[in-house]
Amino acid sequence: MLTAVLLFLPLAAALLLLFIKGAAARALALGASLLEFGLAVYAAFAFKATGTVAFNLNYAWISSAGINFHLGLDGLSLLLVLLTTFLVPLILLSAFKHKYDNPSTFYALVLFMQTGLLGVFMSLDAFLFYFFWEVALIPIYFLAGAWGGERRVAVTLKFFLYTVVGSLLMLAGFVYLYLQTGPAAGSLAQHSSELSAFYSLKLSAAEQSWLFWLIFAAFAVKMPIFPFHTWQPDTYTEAPAPATMLLSGIMLKMGIYGTMRWLLPVLPLGVSQWGFLVVILSVIGIIYGAIIAIRQRDLKRLIAYSSLSHVGLMAAGVFSLTQIGLQGVVIQMLAHGVNVVGMFFVADAIERRTGTRYIPDLGGLTRRTPILSVCFLVMLLSTVALPLTGGFVGEFLLLAGVYQYNAWVGAVAGLTIIFSAVYLLRMFQRVMLGPDSAFSETITDLTGSELLILVPLIALVFWLGLFPNSFLHISEPAVINLLSLVGR
Amino acid sequence: MTSIILLSIFGILNLFMGFMRSNKVLLPGAMLLLLAVFGANLADWNVVHAPYFNNMLVVDNYTVAFTGIVVLTTIVLLPFSRSYVVAGETNLAEYYALLLFSLVGAVMMIGYNHLIMLFVGIEILSISMYVLAGSSKRDSRSNEAALKYFLMGAFATGILLFGIALLYGATGTFVLSDLAGAVAAPENASLQPMLYIGILMMIIGIGFKVSAAPFHFWTPDVYEGTPTFFTAFMSTVVKTAGFAAFLKLLAVALPGAQGFWLPTIQAMCALTLLLGNVGAAVQTSTKRMLAYSSVSHAGYLLIGLVASRGNLTGDAASGIFFYSLAYSIATIAAFGVLKLVADHRQRDDYAALNGLGKTNPLLAFSMTVAMLSLAGIPLTGGFFGKFFLLAAAAGQGYIGLVVFAVIMSMVGLYYYLRPLIAMYLRPAEEGATPVPVDGIQTATLALLALLSIVLGIVPGFLSGIL
Amino acid sequence: MRPKPVGATFALQRLLVLLRSNLTAMLLVLPAANYQPSDYLPILIQFGLALAFVAFAMIVSHLVGPKRNSTVKDASFECGIESVGNARTPISVKYFLTAIVFVLFDVEVIFMYPWAVNFRALGNDGFIAMILFMFFLLAGFAYIIKKGILRWNEA
Repeated sequence: MLTAVLLFLPLAAALLLLFIKGAAARALALGASLLEFGLAVYAAFAFKATGTVAFNLNYAWISSAGINFHLGLDGLSLLLVLLTTFLVPLILLSAFKHKYDNPSTFYALVLFMQTGLLGVFMSLDAFLFYFFWEVALIPIYFLAGAWGGERRVAVTLKFFLYTVVGSLLMLAGFVYLYLQTGPAAGSLAQHSSELSAFYSLKLSAAEQSWLFWLIFAAFAVKMPIFPFHTWQPDTYTEAPAPATMLLSGIMLKMGIYGTMRWLLPVLPLGVSQWGFLVVILSVIGIIYGAIIAIRQRDLKRLIAYSSLSHVGLMAAGVFSLTQIGLQGVVIQMLAHGVNVVGMFFVADAIERRTGTRYIPDLGGLTRRTPILSVCFLVMLLSTVALPLTGGFVGEFLLLAGVYQYNAWVGAVAGLTIIFSAVYLLRMFQRVMLGPDSAFSETITDLTGSELLILVPLIALVFWLGLFPNSFLHISEPAVINLLSLVGR
Repeated sequence: MTSIILLSIFGILNLFMGFMRSNKVLLPGAMLLLLAVFGANLADWNVVHAPYFNNMLVVDNYTVAFTGIVVLTTIVLLPFSRSYVVAGETNLAEYYALLLFSLVGAVMMIGYNHLIMLFVGIEILSISMYVLAGSSKRDSRSNEAALKYFLMGAFATGILLFGIALLYGATGTFVLSDLAGAVAAPENASLQPMLYIGILMMIIGIGFKVSAAPFHFWTPDVYEGTPTFFTAFMSTVVKTAGFAAFLKLLAVALPGAQGFWLPTIQAMCALTLLLGNVGAAVQTSTKRMLAYSSVSHAGYLLIGLVASRGNLTGDAASGIFFYSLAYSIATIAAFGVLKLVADHRQRDDYAALNGLGKTNPLLAFSMTVAMLSLAGIPLTGGFFGKFFLLAAAAGQGYIGLVVFAVIMSMVGLYYYLRPLIAMYLRPAEEGATPVPVDGIQTATLALLALLSIVLGIVPGFLSGIL
Repeated sequence: MRPKPVGATFALQRLLVLLRSNLTAMLLVLPAANYQPSDYLPILIQFGLALAFVAFAMIVSHLVGPKRNSTVKDASFECGIESVGNARTPISVKYFLTAIVFVLFDVEVIFMYPWAVNFRALGNDGFIAMILFMFFLLAGFAYIIKKGILRWNEA
């Protein structure tokens, strides 16, 4: 029942928002998202980390085809639900800072998107998963398209086509898998699209080999992995700041989560055949993203490429198929979500004050903005993976996992830390320190309401860095389960 | 059967209603009459009727289901004829009467059990449509559409009739259920060439009516020239009835000749998907794009025919039903919005939709849902329509065809997004005023969007009914 | 217009009519059940003959006939009178409507004949069906009159 409430609460709020204007709309959007977060926290406390799926909700959706409306939470899903519900109120708060046309619609789309995201993280039926996967795409398309920058038309079209083509391939893969399943117990339908039915499939290595790419196409585009990434920097740059935060903070995790839940255990032979190739691609992405980030002069674009680089490491961690690597992925998903949202928020704060995000135009901003500088630095250092921060725990575990998988790959992947230190610190130096610019004297520091957004983020950064175990123990049984399924 | 009787009587009634002073009552009148027909039709659900007219017409769940689609489609289409009422169109009663008469033809095409009945049904439907295609008498494009449609349609009907004659010659019967035995009977083996040519000609004739490639070439010109209100009718009711007839013919009468028609239908299917989608992608007029898109949807429905494997029930038949319903709802909404916008802004290219999201949020929303449904994006009925058809085909092992259809639906995304881009991402022209929409149209558009979404969220209640 | 060799054509046409009726007779006496594709051969021959005759007549008249052109001869005319203006002028749609209505009521009689012949066999059902048919027909007639299609002088 809890899962259903979690799923439909944002949707109900979104529908209500279509009829409400002004301050009431803000209050409703924020209230609903906070309530949602409260529910998720309650779920986390009620959750016992045993490796079984909790809060099951299972109804026949299309009974003639054996497709169920099946929701549930295990450790992995729970953490991502927590992340989503934690970030959405903050993203909404940051949206309040902007003067958008039709703000109610904007908030409604954000909440609608939240339903899609939560659905993806909670569904235990392949077609339900696919359904929410696409549901999450529609609002973000309109958010980025209708409220985006100048080049939004072409950019969002590219984004949409990339992702939909990927997910259609995934759908084709799912349909094939579905047709291989037998009937579920007590069902009249010939096939079943339950996750468990997919897990018990026995497919030949040749089938798994091509199915792997069909299904992975969707996840690879969403993450994105080199060379499926070309939509990403453009979209991140052109989308309005809250949409960028949704894209980078949460939507990207859909791809990683999908790989862990719907690819590794379903097609273990395919994974063992192609895993190394994907790891290599990921590592190429790490280096490629980092090198391009060094040359960027647009603040948002730089963060976008930095995100690309970090996602590469996570993907490599997923395919390392080690417990330590997968646990690293879990922590890094949370840490990266927090970091990248914080970074984009700071970049947005600077842009709102100065009207530009062109790095050479900025400089010497610290004098007037001590609080902003400190917040920026914390976010930045966590992204660079300085000890005590969440980024450090995640990247350390990830690198350990990848190193176990292959020492050479691990060594190259380790460059990500050095590279990110180079481009991020250089960026900080040019934007915040450095010679004075036209804005050095006029810029104002963070306001209280902006701090309201950054403080929870910073708190979580340190919490993740100091007590990673409070999250790791939730996901541990789920990860062990997953690995046992891969090893079958 | 009640629906045929009621539709015929109501059609004549409508003709005489035209003699009244004001034509304000015509629209609500026609809608009420159709609602009565819809109810009467639903009352036949799960009721067993003996075949009518010496086994020429049967009313079973199949008939009721598809009749339900065509009647419902017409009901929700009617509000968009408001501009005729406002303009004081003198022939409005005749238009409605012709629509009702063509529905009679559609129901006969759906419920036929005798090839002559099929032929009569197709003719009743088509002749009404020839007239309606040219109903805008002063518009040369409408005249062109009517003439083209009539000449080519008459040709196709001739070929269909020839096919029926050959089939009769080869088997000695017109009745579908007897045909199945006669086609497979060994004593008719020597007449196989005649039989096959007959089947081929029937496929050509019906393929023309449902605009399946390579017999689709008339579609864009005719759809473009025909007044939008009737284009919507053509692309939904005619197509639905055509596919119901097509499926029945192949599944009931010709399962014995499957080895012959299956490759033919498969080839037509692939060709239709290709030409429809690629053709739509290069259009600049929204109406022409919708015309090509209707060709491409004929392609998806042909997949259902391939997957049916001579079965009038089961996955494929249910899939065709569901797809036809979802497609009809979305298409009516798309043409409805297009008609309202085109009437107001005097153009029907993509740019006509510019900034509609600002000026008319409801129209834009309705169009969005319709486009997403036609593109087959989840949350809309179109997704499950495609899903059921493709899953049925994949279940029968037609993997290559399914993969091709999926690739083609990716092409489809490109052109279905273009109206959305125009509506939301491009500003309206300077001084663009909101498109006037009256209450009943607003309600209808909201209903259509709601139906699309309901079909996309809880498809279960209609998915396996056949 | 050039005078044609009427006599010869006429004779050939007569011949053809004779041949055709004979062939039809031949076909009719065949037993109905076991047609062979070869039984259609006479039809094919007749078809070929018909085609060949057309070609023959055209070629021969072209070759044999004298060719003398003059402006007077080449001018188009109607019933021996010189033509005036274009033949493709708009004609009042009334003619067309009347013709269509005529055809409608003309064809309807075809329906009555078989009914009248089988009147007894069809019984009450047939009677009711014919009453209904006549009702619809008369409804259409009433509609036509009400629409003013038969009033000639109004626009």
